[in-house]
Amino acid sequence: MILALVFFLPLMAAGLVLTLKERRAATLFALAAGLIEIAGIAFTAWRVYASGSLEFTKYLRADSLTAFFLINIGAVFFLVLLYSTSYIRHIPAGRFSSPRWFYALLFLFLFTIIGVYLTSNLGLLWIMMEATTLASALLVGFYNTEGAIEAGWKYLIVCTVGLAFALFGTIVFYIAGVRAGISPDAALQWRVLLHAAPALAGSQALIKLAFVFLVVGYGTKIGLVPMHSWLPDAHAEAPSPVSAMLSAGLLNCAVYAVIRYDAIVTHSLGAAFSHHLLLFFGAASLVVAGLLMIVQQDLKRLLAYSSVEHMGIIATGLGLGGFFGMYGALLHTFNHSFAKSLLFFSAGHVRETVGTSKISELRGLARILPWTSGAMVVGVIAIAGLPPFGLFVSEFSVLREAFSQAHWFAALILLGTLSIVFSAMTYHFLKVLTSHSEAHENLGRLRDGKGPEFVAMGICAVVLIIFGITIPLPFSNLLHAAMGVLQ
Amino acid sequence: MGVVFEMAALKVLSSAAVLLFGTVLLMATARRISTCAWLFAFQSLVLATEVASVAYTQHSREAWFVAGMVFAVKVIAIPYALLWLMRRLHTPHDVGASISPGHSVFVMAGVIFVSFWAVRLYLRELRATEVTLAAAVALILSAAFLMVTRNKALMQVIALLVLENGIFLAALVTIFGMPLIIEMGIVFDLLMGLFLMGIFVFRIRDTFDHLDVSRLRRLRG
Repeated sequence: MILALVFFLPLMAAGLVLTLKERRAATLFALAAGLIEIAGIAFTAWRVYASGSLEFTKYLRADSLTAFFLINIGAVFFLVLLYSTSYIRHIPAGRFSSPRWFYALLFLFLFTIIGVYLTSNLGLLWIMMEATTLASALLVGFYNTEGAIEAGWKYLIVCTVGLAFALFGTIVFYIAGVRAGISPDAALQWRVLLHAAPALAGSQALIKLAFVFLVVGYGTKIGLVPMHSWLPDAHAEAPSPVSAMLSAGLLNCAVYAVIRYDAIVTHSLGAAFSHHLLLFFGAASLVVAGLLMIVQQDLKRLLAYSSVEHMGIIATGLGLGGFFGMYGALLHTFNHSFAKSLLFFSAGHVRETVGTSKISELRGLARILPWTSGAMVVGVIAIAGLPPFGLFVSEFSVLREAFSQAHWFAALILLGTLSIVFSAMTYHFLKVLTSHSEAHENLGRLRDGKGPEFVAMGICAVVLIIFGITIPLPFSNLLHAAMGVLQ
Repeated sequence: MGVVFEMAALKVLSSAAVLLFGTVLLMATARRISTCAWLFAFQSLVLATEVASVAYTQHSREAWFVAGMVFAVKVIAIPYALLWLMRRLHTPHDVGASISPGHSVFVMAGVIFVSFWAVRLYLRELRATEVTLAAAVALILSAAFLMVTRNKALMQVIALLVLENGIFLAALVTIFGMPLIIEMGIVFDLLMGLFLMGIFVFRIRDTFDHLDVSRLRRLRG
């Protein structure tokens, strides 16, 4: 029952917020609905923590892995709402682009992401995943500028084609399931498939074919190289709260789908095939994104490529497998979403106050926007994987697995990319934060350090530090249980 | 008498493949977007007939429902919406081919050849007839080809629809389609996707004054 509530509440909120024409009313309603949703997610997670799993009819199901990802998206969504309350003032009124449409689409987006997590049926998972594209395409093109329209179109087409391949993969998987003797009604239930995984080995060629298509398809949404072309455009052109939602919510949701399939394939064919494929895409993403980060000219584009790089780390962790690889990958989805939200929030604040996010036009931010710059520095140190922040722990965990398996290739790529990324990030951000500029003198001291957007940034920073020092025990237990689900 | 009908229904399944290859080749030669929309409608009609014949041989009420849905959505609604869009947009109606129609037919013939070759690996495990499966793969590959060689936004939408038809056919000829609720969800996503693409097409035309997506290249690197 609670699952149905958590699932349908965002949909209802999306419908209701459309009736509120006034910005303040829409904002208050959105915050209230967001809080109820968070409470629902927290309750679900607690119930799952206590009893192992929850079910509602044959379509909705939550286990520890679901709960782990739900907590992540719930927290990110609330931060995005909090940040939007002040950001929304900059939104010009227009068709499909007014505060109420913004909130309605945001809730619709949340609805589809939560749908991906809660469904127990791999066919429905595909349907909800395609719906995430549809719900967020208008958000990406929200500003209706040339760039936004181009990015929105590209996002819509590239992701729909990618997901069409994932649909093909899903169908082939279903065929393999039916051939293995599972009844057609249950052959898409992921738990049934996991239990029947050894029987699937009979149609080895089909499973391999399906998994390739699934990784390419859902990999498009994860933004793995070479299917990443939509990602930098969409992240850079979308309003900053939406960029945070994309990077911290959407990408994880596609990672989740790949994790589920990877578990089934590993159980039926052994780890070699699926893990090699993931390692290949992970390494490609790491190298390409790392190198492209050096030459970026826009702050938000730089952050977008950083997302590709971190998805590469996650794919590498999954590809290495083993306890620490898996642990690091899962923990990294969580840490990355907070660090990237923090960075997109601060970059968005810069773009709204200074009027541009071009690196060449931004100078001396530390003087003009001291608080935002502070948040940015924390974000950059965290995203570069330095202690005392959470990402250090998860990246170290993946690296540890690489070394303990004596997988020198993965270790070399990881270490090499991390150092390139560190220098690219510090190079760009030092330029933006420090050096002196005449142009910005007349901006004087802008409004900085007040308002809910700084609460959102503060929460991100605190979470990152806490997870860098110690992982809270209940969370750690949940993480272990989530890994247990996949065994 | 019933046996005769059943034989006829089975024949439909395999001979429909030939018609599908025909639409694939014709779509490559088409110079106008509206021709492609009509061809898509015909292609979907063939699919709907195939589903109906499966429904008849399998005595499945769900399959009859799917056949009706395919007919209503893909044969009537979507082509109608596409033609309506074209009338409203007042932009040139050519497909914006970067490879000439003549060459495209050659490539398409190669695509059909490749699809026969590709399905041979899986025939034993799939237990489907070679020609129907090859038709499904040919639809998918031809859609990919159309997508990269046709520059108009609407042609990309049509290519996407053809791609979806190919995937639908693949599911149909191997396991008589997906469960009904999934099939419905896919069609719903397809319709919503089309609606959104329609919105974006209007926005592209209003902002750029053309629908040539190969000229949308401000964002790169």
